[in-house]
Amino acid sequence: MSVQTEGTDTAGGPAVREGRAPAPPRGADRASRSPAGRPAAAPYLLLLPALLATLVLLGWPLVKNGMLSFQNLNPRQLIQHLTEWNGFHNYQQVLTGPDFWKVVERSVLFTAANVVLIMLFGTLIGLLLARLGKKMRLTLLVGLVLAWAMPVIAATTVYQWLFAQRFGVVNWVLDKLGWHSMADYNWMGSQFSTFSVIVLLIVWQSIPFVAINLYAATTTIPKELYEAASLDGAGAWQSFTFVTLPFLRPFLYSTTFLEVIWVFKAFPQVFAMNEGGPDRLTETLPIYAYVEGVGNQHFGVGAAISFLTILVLLVITSYYLRMVLKQEEDEL
Amino acid sequence: MKRKLASAIVIAGMMVSVAACGGNSGNDSKDAGPESWKGQTLTVWTMDGSAPPQWSKDVQAAFEKKTGAKLKFETQKWDGIQQKITTALSEDNPPDVLEVGNTQTPAYAATGGLADLGDLKRSIGADWTASVSKSSVYEGKQYAAPWYFANRVVIYNKKIWAQAGIKSTPKTRDEFLKDLDTIGKKTDAEPIYLPGQNWYFLDGLIVGQGGDLVKKQGDKYVSNLADPKVAAAMEIYKKYAAYSKAPKDKDEANPQQAAVFAKGKTGAFIGMGWEAATAVQANKSIEKDLGYFTIPGATADKPEGVFLGGSNLAVAQNSKKQSLAKEFLKIALSDQYEGELAKLSGVIPNKESLESNLKGNAAAEAAAPGAAVGGTTPLIPEWAAVENTPNPIKSYMTAVLNGKAPAAAAKDVEGQINQRLAQQN
Repeated sequence: MSVQTEGTDTAGGPAVREGRAPAPPRGADRASRSPAGRPAAAPYLLLLPALLATLVLLGWPLVKNGMLSFQNLNPRQLIQHLTEWNGFHNYQQVLTGPDFWKVVERSVLFTAANVVLIMLFGTLIGLLLARLGKKMRLTLLVGLVLAWAMPVIAATTVYQWLFAQRFGVVNWVLDKLGWHSMADYNWMGSQFSTFSVIVLLIVWQSIPFVAINLYAATTTIPKELYEAASLDGAGAWQSFTFVTLPFLRPFLYSTTFLEVIWVFKAFPQVFAMNEGGPDRLTETLPIYAYVEGVGNQHFGVGAAISFLTILVLLVITSYYLRMVLKQEEDEL
Repeated sequence: MKRKLASAIVIAGMMVSVAACGGNSGNDSKDAGPESWKGQTLTVWTMDGSAPPQWSKDVQAAFEKKTGAKLKFETQKWDGIQQKITTALSEDNPPDVLEVGNTQTPAYAATGGLADLGDLKRSIGADWTASVSKSSVYEGKQYAAPWYFANRVVIYNKKIWAQAGIKSTPKTRDEFLKDLDTIGKKTDAEPIYLPGQNWYFLDGLIVGQGGDLVKKQGDKYVSNLADPKVAAAMEIYKKYAAYSKAPKDKDEANPQQAAVFAKGKTGAFIGMGWEAATAVQANKSIEKDLGYFTIPGATADKPEGVFLGGSNLAVAQNSKKQSLAKEFLKIALSDQYEGELAKLSGVIPNKESLESNLKGNAAAEAAAPGAAVGGTTPLIPEWAAVENTPNPIKSYMTAVLNGKAPAAAAKDVEGQINQRLAQQN
């Protein structure tokens, strides 16, 4: 989750751009920089702790994981501390195997379905927040924050109970409403129904972040613009498309991007719900890496899959990455 | 710089990192024998339900008195145990003694994580029952000591059976099915609780049909799930499952079948003798209604085949307390404590001479006839991988129970099984 908070400010929303202080006059700049060169180093020094933490906690495991992905590492090698390099064999095995591309396709579709729903409902609720009165807004905000704050596994367990076959509330309600064939419906019995429950859970968990973000974005829109628009004869729809939307666009981009990352790597919700079942049909890439690597004790192959997972994610997010990089280039 | 930083943070955020286990260490055994025992602590992993509290307490007292060392029992859950044992065996300070399931022992023996117990076998294992000891021998060496054996029986609710007007326990499969039918018609209880993935029960049925889960093809083992004998076993399973409302895609541990049975609305379930204790723990009042009988076979003279589950005790190769660990095994497996275990848990001990301890234990008496015709899963190192979650055989069972033809269902998972059997070590 730390990813998301890190990422938001790279989005470069209008508020950020507007708030930038004017550049200091040249003379002053040179004077402060030249004597010891210390002020120039200061920003880097301040970055150092965060960079070190990233390197130790993410960089090092990543290097280790990379090394594992080129090894034949099974229980025997692990127990006897043997290192058996096997080149690209793990990658070759995964890429030519029967499952990998199916899982990639499934992961991409899964991510797309989730992100579309999250963005749609998140935006709508965000806009609703902006229009609500004070009391209702507070109530809704508290509800959203609570949903956001709920620990993932706890939420997953609650959903498991809700959708339990014999004693679940959902089946009971459906039965009471007259849909009797649902009284004993097994939600974990097929791929589609299992995914439905997982998607519902993830969308429910993710909406607060998008809604609150977009609500925050709407507060940066100057009121005068709406007045000007209505003077020009714009209706509700036009003032939305010509005033609100341009302001929201950078926020929409950045939250979509973050949700893509978040949903794509969602592990606990999918795994805890039904362990990738039935019949491994709800395994997304992170689950697949875990089941092959840790579950089947094929650690080298698991490491290779996790690396391929990162590559797939990079490809998916490349559009936005390019946009961010270009934007920064323009600003330099 | 800024650009690189931004992308670095983004990339870092995406990492699905697998923490690595690093570090190498030689096995520098500093075991000085009995003089060094005092003050040491020996850690023993036993599985959930294996070691009754009374037995643990008695063994601990005897061990601490004899060696002056401390003994610490730690209970492990079966769920995910293979991964846990693998990790544990790779550590520099592993648990010293571990209970390992009999079907998983060959795989661990092959990894080199278990110590050779040849000398122990020579000193105390001369009369270990051969069939019990078989799973702990790999390539001619003894890698574990057989601890106990157990097989499933039918545990039933006498009250419900009486309500249905059934006077005696069934002697054949057909009688059993007829009784279940009667219970379904005459009472409002669920005749039997049998979830779709009680795969050890299916394994017993396969043993009963004379089938095998793997066959040799050249020098490799491959799946034999498509064998008509396996299909016949699965059909029997399906007949029983038809009398149950239990989920078809769950095994007997989720939810614990004994806990379901304890509610008093289930006629019977197929389980280990000690699961009765779990039921009583959940509902004290069920105790007086508990009864046991051998799973009946096709004819009255031969009971149904059963999976001979069992456990061995092994010593971790990386343990630095080898002599102390062996001393523990000598005490725990002595006639006194092995006999006590059999008596308390109703499990079959590792020596025939100790079986007299089972007298009067209703569950054990029901289990004994089955044990004579029992069998195990294939005792090859490659087998353990097949049982890793998600177990393809469980998928097969659910598919058949949901109406798929056994042959077609077998075809769906055989690729998966063969891939696991072919996994290099």
